[in-house]
Amino acid sequence: MRREPELRRLYDEHAQPLYAFLLNFTRDESDTRDVLQEIFVKLARNPDLLDGIRDERAFLLRLAQNAAIDLIRRRGARERIRENLAAEIVSPFAPATDPDEQTFRDELARGLADLPADQRAVVHLKLWEGLTFEGIAAALEIPLNTAASRYRYGLDKLRARLRPLYEEVKKPSNE
Amino acid sequence: MNEQLEQIERRLRRQPLRQVPAEWREEILAAAVVGQPSPAARRSFLSTRDFQLSTIFWPHPVAWAGLAAVWIFIFAVDFSTRDRTPVIAANNLPPPAEVMAEVHLQQQLLVELLGPRETRDADRQRNFVPKPRSEHMEMANV
Repeated sequence: MRREPELRRLYDEHAQPLYAFLLNFTRDESDTRDVLQEIFVKLARNPDLLDGIRDERAFLLRLAQNAAIDLIRRRGARERIRENLAAEIVSPFAPATDPDEQTFRDELARGLADLPADQRAVVHLKLWEGLTFEGIAAALEIPLNTAASRYRYGLDKLRARLRPLYEEVKKPSNE
Repeated sequence: MNEQLEQIERRLRRQPLRQVPAEWREEILAAAVVGQPSPAARRSFLSTRDFQLSTIFWPHPVAWAGLAAVWIFIFAVDFSTRDRTPVIAANNLPPPAEVMAEVHLQQQLLVELLGPRETRDADRQRNFVPKPRSEHMEMANV
């Protein structure tokens, strides 16, 4: 069993990016919590899990993605249909005080939700984790070119979707 | 085009992400310390097994895949070189009656050509008479 101070350090360093990534990936807060807990239980049970790992963040993101895919597979088709019918997009973004900015974020959240999961993961890691394509390729265990092309496709779709809003809301966000 | 992409990239990067709920920290760490799996992890035995297997296989997937490929190759070679004689024999149909009759005729002809043959001593059936066992022999001698 991993010692508690070490677990706390891992949580403090990595829980926020893992949470944002998982929320963007699963689109469900309770699923995000389940997967996050699953990761930390795993870390506690396997003290050697991070031994020899050069990039903890990349390893944990990979672990998170695997666990999220596993969770989504475990869900039955019935549950997925029910959830789709509910059609409430869980936004991975903080709420904005400015209504225009909020509209932009809501539309961005919908645009991300419409992306295929593999493109969404790459776009998230590039834009909001600041990873390079090499880092993304290592974290998701995909070829470098695949990471780059997924990003390009995803970004093109987001740009097309957000263009009307982007033209309208010219002012940059101060939040 | 690239300018537009860079602009939208910059704009998207500025969007702040939601913060992880503060109360999760103690809950998740407490659950991790006591080793309590999340509700999702408790859902099925198979998924738990897969999760544990991924712990073992994840750090060196290429090495494990290579090992699996070697074993598959060994099984394939073993399977392809396996002796199938019994299978071939089982698949053969019995010879037709005409062939059997011809063979029988040939055998008869051979016997007639060779003439009667004395059976060798070794081939003769021995008349086995049970003899008394050692203590019975002693009693008979007495």
